[in-house]
Amino acid sequence: MKKRMKKIITFILAGAMIVSLAGCGGGGADKPQEIKKDFYYVPENRKLDINSNYIEGVVAKDDQIYMYGNSWDEKSGISVGTLYCYDLVNDTIKEIPFKTDDNSSVYKMLLNKAGNLMMILQRYEEVISEEKMIDVEASEESDEIVYAQEAAGEGVVAETTIGGDDLYTESVEFNHYIELIEVSTADGSVMNSVDITAVFGNNQDFYPQYVATDANENIYISDGNSCIYVIDAGGNKLAEITLDDWVDGMFSSKEGDIYIKMWGAEGEEIRPLDLNSKKIGNAISAKGLLERSNHYNQRYYEGMESSLLVSDSTGLFTYDFTTDVANDMFDWLDVDINSDDVSEAGQMSDGRYWALLHDYMGDEAEYYIAIMKKTPASEVVIKEELVYGTIWTSQEIRKNIIDFNKTSDKYRITVKEYQTDDYTSGIAQFNNDLASGNCPDIINLSNLDFARYASKGVFEDLYPYMEKDGIQKEDYVENVLTAYEMSGKLYGIIPQFYIHSAAVKSSIAGDRTGWTVKEMLEVAKESGIENIFQYGSRMSVFYYCIYNNMDEYIDWETGECFFNGEDFINVLEFAAQFPEEPDYSDEESISSKIHENKVLLLETSVSSVQEYQMMSGMFGEEITFIGYPNSEGKGNLIQPTNECIAIAAKSEKKEAAWEFVKGFMSDEYQDGLVSEHANWGFPLKKSALEKQFEMDMTPSYYEDMDGKQVESPKTSWGYDDFQIDIYAAKKEEVDAVRKVIASAERTATSINEELATIITEETDAYFKGQKSAKETADIIQNRIQIYVNENS
Amino acid sequence: MCSFKRKNLNKHKGGKRVKTTVSKQGKRGKVISWGFLSPSLLGVLLFFVLPFFVVIYYSMVDNPINNQFVFFENFVRVFNNMAFKQAAYNTFRFSLVAVPLAVLLSLLLAMMLDSKIPFRSQFRTFFLSPMMVPIASVVLIWQVLFHYNGIVNDALSILGTGKTDWLKSAHAQIVIVILFLWKNLGYNMILFMAALSSIPKDILDVAVLESASARQIFWHIKVRYISSTILFVTIMSLINSFKVFREIYLLTGNYPYDTIYMMQHFMNNAFTQLDYQKLSAAAIMMSIVMVIIIGILFLVENYFGKDMEE
Repeated sequence: MKKRMKKIITFILAGAMIVSLAGCGGGGADKPQEIKKDFYYVPENRKLDINSNYIEGVVAKDDQIYMYGNSWDEKSGISVGTLYCYDLVNDTIKEIPFKTDDNSSVYKMLLNKAGNLMMILQRYEEVISEEKMIDVEASEESDEIVYAQEAAGEGVVAETTIGGDDLYTESVEFNHYIELIEVSTADGSVMNSVDITAVFGNNQDFYPQYVATDANENIYISDGNSCIYVIDAGGNKLAEITLDDWVDGMFSSKEGDIYIKMWGAEGEEIRPLDLNSKKIGNAISAKGLLERSNHYNQRYYEGMESSLLVSDSTGLFTYDFTTDVANDMFDWLDVDINSDDVSEAGQMSDGRYWALLHDYMGDEAEYYIAIMKKTPASEVVIKEELVYGTIWTSQEIRKNIIDFNKTSDKYRITVKEYQTDDYTSGIAQFNNDLASGNCPDIINLSNLDFARYASKGVFEDLYPYMEKDGIQKEDYVENVLTAYEMSGKLYGIIPQFYIHSAAVKSSIAGDRTGWTVKEMLEVAKESGIENIFQYGSRMSVFYYCIYNNMDEYIDWETGECFFNGEDFINVLEFAAQFPEEPDYSDEESISSKIHENKVLLLETSVSSVQEYQMMSGMFGEEITFIGYPNSEGKGNLIQPTNECIAIAAKSEKKEAAWEFVKGFMSDEYQDGLVSEHANWGFPLKKSALEKQFEMDMTPSYYEDMDGKQVESPKTSWGYDDFQIDIYAAKKEEVDAVRKVIASAERTATSINEELATIITEETDAYFKGQKSAKETADIIQNRIQIYVNENS
Repeated sequence: MCSFKRKNLNKHKGGKRVKTTVSKQGKRGKVISWGFLSPSLLGVLLFFVLPFFVVIYYSMVDNPINNQFVFFENFVRVFNNMAFKQAAYNTFRFSLVAVPLAVLLSLLLAMMLDSKIPFRSQFRTFFLSPMMVPIASVVLIWQVLFHYNGIVNDALSILGTGKTDWLKSAHAQIVIVILFLWKNLGYNMILFMAALSSIPKDILDVAVLESASARQIFWHIKVRYISSTILFVTIMSLINSFKVFREIYLLTGNYPYDTIYMMQHFMNNAFTQLDYQKLSAAAIMMSIVMVIIIGILFLVENYFGKDMEE
């Protein structure tokens, strides 16, 4: 009996083991632990009361920030520089009476041990070298002020001005100097000034991009190329160190050592700079620092406890060279700061952190100081957490999250980025979270296969929420909303969109607004073009033909596919006519090729009326945005400019998530997308879209010398070598854009990438002449049939 | 033996007091054994038994997000799915060909190396070396060999034969069988060699003295003695035949030519498509088949190797 029992148990355990092995990967993913923090960084924002539009040099010491600001004086037409000192402890700002002359500007600033500012200045000196008179009648542009660059030599500009009936030309030469000056922080007096132009070989184009100072107050200067110049505090040249590659960063540590960040044999490297040997050392092990080197906007400061304090696009962290450990202080989002707004950052003597923030509003900028104080959790009002899951976080969404967090009393959005080394593992991680019930409350599905997830019930239907809040579907561009619909349910919102398409001359496309592959092949054959695209290759032409068209060869009802049929083979044979590799040596411009009917299509987007105007100008005649071949003749695809936002069906805070999503549909947000300049997309709300169109049709004027109002270009656009001034759009142009928008029904992410991969993998051998079209089609048919069988 | 001694000891000491001591010792022993067992028991529960029930759960819900109970609907859907049928057929056919070949050829090699042939150890190393090659290198070697522009096609073209796309044609499964054998023969061979060397020499000597033929010695002595090893090698080869997906996947991706589309492809693709319910149902069906096959193998081994155990 016992023996039998043992056997039964053995079988059960063996069975369990086999099932576990057989179903490996499908097991329940672990739920990440919720980390309860002992403290939080609480931000305090202070507006800086300064008159400058742009701050250039910023240095800090002993809780004092020294800033050099510039502002444009409309009356005098010159830039005025002001040196400020901001007291972080007392929140006071004062101007230091230091002035540069009109031809000087501050490049970089440092602080020396005595507490004085070491400024690197650039100074221009005008040298009028030539003057001559031109006969006005000989000039066709006598009523315009013409600026022309003359390639007579470095620093030489020829300025042509009108003076009565005659035109005078002045040739003005600029000599460029770089100076090192020591400025007292107490009274702004210049204590010392040295011309260091010769240090850089009298290079008139030298621009110091990176500046650092070591423990001995020597100054290291690099323009980002492969050379570092070292001078002492008196401006004497100590060394000129040449590197193998460009300098990506240069900074000093708390210990007073200088480090260079540059590209090496195994990626980004940190290398110490040794002034004694006048050489750069070998790459050091700085994994903790380098593993975040892919984050942009990196700035390095001398640390207080650690070697460095580093600010990047994600947050602020300290790094220590001796232990090779990076410690995160906080994410910018956690302290309600948009990382794009961060100009500089640092640490105060009491341990608090500060950041200088800018907020651009048109040409004007406002500056703020944010102070982040470490506060025990018991003293902080902890809001409920809403998780925003995304592969990548745009600045637009960051801004909206910060606004939401600032205004919501109850909820706080945190971002969970599924951004890893590769896209696939990010998606796998997202899938694990979904399966383990750890799904984010709000999901950015702009990079996801929306239909696949929607069919699994991942997303919440947004129509009931809209209805409850009185948001009418009819008020929005309906085809864009319905692109993210499934069975009458709305699963995602694109606040701003553009149309992904391909443009063709209307004279070639005829009455068509879209085409099937067959029609496209016929047109291409009849029109006698050299290539489909400017740099069209067999693969790109083939990909264009099948990109939006794969379903044409599949009957999902019966589970049959027809990739080995005549139609598909025709496409393969058609694509094989074109070059195997794109011919990039061909320098003829796209506009010229289009004019001469050498190419048929231009793959492009339509993100604004201005872009449409530019395309029209480039084609030189009426154009049709025909898109990608499709059995229904609907080839234009909808693409979100930034995000497509959905709410997780399993979220426990759906109402709060909706509050956030709803913000993107509001008049305030949608009207904010309306822009005089093209804003890389159209607003989703019809009223805002109409406002955009109205703005596009409103002319701009300038007053000529006779006081007449003359229409001026709103902006200018360029593509390849083609340049065009954009004037107010005509009604027909706006109507054409309306039609393009209305013609798009599918999203670009609805393209089945799995099928596209199988097809392109197999066609490679055919395009290289290794297999026949029939053999290739048979293999594609065989492989895709498995995919269809799996999914039907 | 131990209990006998204790009994005697008890007799000398006698009485209730001694009985209590034994009982305490027994309890203590049990506690210690469970203490030692508990880590592995916990591991088995956590990593095998618990996932087993999770898989059963997933197989009976509509999807891992909605978690609506659908009973056996997933099993019916999976069973009727053409891709599943194709994968099951290919896996079954592959195992049916590859497993017996792996057992027989490795046994043959072991027999060869067991006899006194020259360069025995060199041969042994040669057959074992594929085990040491990392999977990425194996795949690379096979690609170099069987790619459309690979060495095999180049060699065949010398003989005037046209090119064959080995991995994307009906020949694909032959390539995979060869790859499987190349990778597994060495390990199986070592197991058989160990089993053959453990056969008592006196029995073999007696058989020779009794004028038994080599065939009789092989069938009636050697096969009987190594029957448990044959069973073990068969089970291991069977499991490895299911794991050949790894090589196929690296050679041909998610969606290979239909003849090498295996069960693991079906499950892997279901996983990436978030069809955990489909994956779980398929895994359970596959495991039932495997349990039946292994059960049969146990019975066969019991039948043939019974007298050896006794």
